[in-house]
Amino acid sequence: MPALWIVAILLALAAAGYLAGRARAIRSAGGDRRNMHSLPSYYGANVAMTVLIPALGLLVLWSLIQPSLIERSIADDIPAAAIGGDTTLDLMMADVRRVAGGLDQLGTPTLITKPAEAPSEEFLSGLREDLGSVGVALASDIAPGVFRAARSYQLAEANGRFWMTIAVLGVGVLGLAAAYAVTNREFRARNVVERGILAGLILCALIAILTTLGIVLSMLFETQNFFSQYSWTEFFFGLEWAPDFRGNSSLSIIPLLWGTLYISLIALLVAVPIGLFAAIYLSEYASPRMRTYAKPMIEVLAGIPTIVYGLFALITVGPILRDYFALPMGIGESASSVATAGVVMGVMLIPFVSSLSDDIINAVPQAMRDGSFGLGATHSETIRQVVIPAALPGIVGAILLAASRAIGETMIVVLGAGAAAAQFNRGLGELVNPFEAMTTVTVKIVSQLTGDTDFASPETLVAFALGLTLFVITLGLNVLALYIVRKYREQYE
Amino acid sequence: MNDLALAAKTEAALKPKISAKGVDVYYADNHAIKNVDVNILDKTVTAFIGPSGCGKSTFLRCLNRMNDTIDIARIEGEILLDGEDIYDPKVDPVQLRAKVGMVFQKPNPFPKSIFDNVSYGPRIHGMARNKAELEEIVESALRRAALWDEVKDRLLAPGTGLSGGQQQRLCIARAVATAPEVLLMDEPCSALDPIATAQIEELIDELRQNYSLVIVTHSMQQAARVSQKTAFFHLGNLVEYGETGHIFTNPEDSRTEAYITGRIG
Repeated sequence: MPALWIVAILLALAAAGYLAGRARAIRSAGGDRRNMHSLPSYYGANVAMTVLIPALGLLVLWSLIQPSLIERSIADDIPAAAIGGDTTLDLMMADVRRVAGGLDQLGTPTLITKPAEAPSEEFLSGLREDLGSVGVALASDIAPGVFRAARSYQLAEANGRFWMTIAVLGVGVLGLAAAYAVTNREFRARNVVERGILAGLILCALIAILTTLGIVLSMLFETQNFFSQYSWTEFFFGLEWAPDFRGNSSLSIIPLLWGTLYISLIALLVAVPIGLFAAIYLSEYASPRMRTYAKPMIEVLAGIPTIVYGLFALITVGPILRDYFALPMGIGESASSVATAGVVMGVMLIPFVSSLSDDIINAVPQAMRDGSFGLGATHSETIRQVVIPAALPGIVGAILLAASRAIGETMIVVLGAGAAAAQFNRGLGELVNPFEAMTTVTVKIVSQLTGDTDFASPETLVAFALGLTLFVITLGLNVLALYIVRKYREQYE
Repeated sequence: MNDLALAAKTEAALKPKISAKGVDVYYADNHAIKNVDVNILDKTVTAFIGPSGCGKSTFLRCLNRMNDTIDIARIEGEILLDGEDIYDPKVDPVQLRAKVGMVFQKPNPFPKSIFDNVSYGPRIHGMARNKAELEEIVESALRRAALWDEVKDRLLAPGTGLSGGQQQRLCIARAVATAPEVLLMDEPCSALDPIATAQIEELIDELRQNYSLVIVTHSMQQAARVSQKTAFFHLGNLVEYGETGHIFTNPEDSRTEAYITGRIG
């Protein structure tokens, strides 16, 4: 039975349990809800909860564990001799899974009764055509070994699914019976439901944390893989980025990191003053009417997809910067440049800085401003010397948050600054020239992974090392932001 | 003190420092202060008493134009400081507030060091020519506020780390450091315990030597203890104004009597 059906049956059971539990509780109280410990709906909810949670939990666990168990036992059955030449166990298992899936779709288990029975040649090539007709295209004829493995895979899976249905529905029914049995007017259903809700909240928090952990771990494995093929000193301290898919590449993070930091720096130089001053205007000077219009309009900037910003950089900002600054000054002739990407990214970040800073400035108590006005300070003196220092930790947090956005940005860089890594061997002048094309870590991650690539070469795996390094940098920035905000907040209250 | 000096002092005390004539305040449509006339004397503590919402704080805030920061407030009438109309367009409210300092209900030290809190006013008004002078001003202000001995070893510690009573004295020191002529205090002790309150009251009595003080208070005992003049506000009207002893022992208006004996309020 497909999982969807199991879930539907469980939901129906839960609904029935809700009504039955509620009715039983009311009956045990003689129809008077004042005699019950909890409101009737809590009794119903308790039964529904006891039906759903253990059963769904089992369903999820079973679905996660079953495939790997089956795969392991099948892989053990494949003779070592069948592997070799141009195939590996992984590739073979992928074939087994596809054939098994195809057989499921064909629904022809009657053709072959036993998995061990040796299938004939013409049967196998016929099967290949049949599988092709249901969308499972195979490159070559099915090897007898693969066919046998696929058959046992298919059987084991059907078997597992059958037992899973029984077990999950059994747990659901058991839960229903147990919860129904304990339901009476004195049962503290409200407390139990509250605990259930708490458990649900904790689960959601855990999922968020575990996902982060999972991301880090998956990156970590591939990164380890990369460093087993490429020297880490070369990666972190080398000065050249020259990937070559025929091998012998130079894969150093420094040129890319330089591009990332340089573009981010320009972006922050644009975004921080403009965003901060906009926030000061909005929170301190603007009339309420002005605020109600201006604030949402600034925040619209945050809703524009970055690819649109990229187009803006490509067709508008880039040519303007080239024609009015770079060419007259004679320091660059490309529209794709650090400055283009930086300026456009800065515009993208303005709402981050301004919106957060605005909230923080508004949170500075009016008593601070009154105190300053009462001493004869002007409005701008008050802002400069009292409001901004009081809001500073929050503002720094906002800036660091914007910085981690800038570091992770990709689309604007691709379209605005190009895809050529900084070249350290051409001298410092070119490195710090803002009208030079340059690229960032994120762009290179994309370009190393796109196209027809082989997932085992260092040229591809380097993407994971780059990604992990970037993750560590932004994580560090976020931790720093949190630390600053927390440290100074105490002093302020 | 010889007779001549005493006579000079009495005369100075009798000359009104602030005189308000026909002051009306509106918050949007709400008529908060109705036609108030009052003369506040120099080197005197004047207490404003009255039930909550009677307009005493509003009136206090008119005296240094703090109501300017509230958009919907509108003020009519005339308030003279040393004979000059403070609502005259020629008057810079910022300059005025340097002359008429204010201490608020809740201690509101800035999130800066104790030294920076006190030196804030002198710095923005350019009152010190060099660091030494600034330090002198800070020390004398802290001494006046009876806080010097408690904080002299930790002037660079944050002002927000002090206790509530110390914070309020810090705010008084901050106000005193700008050398104001009048000091307005809006319920300066309402957030403090009795011991801190007693310290502040003692301080108010000492500050009377140099300044004209106006204090808004909800505590009638406090008004009786620290003030020489008392004004009783009720529903936006100035009901009665006179010698403190007189108001508390022999009020002329029945509403004043009802309030100080606890029958309304």
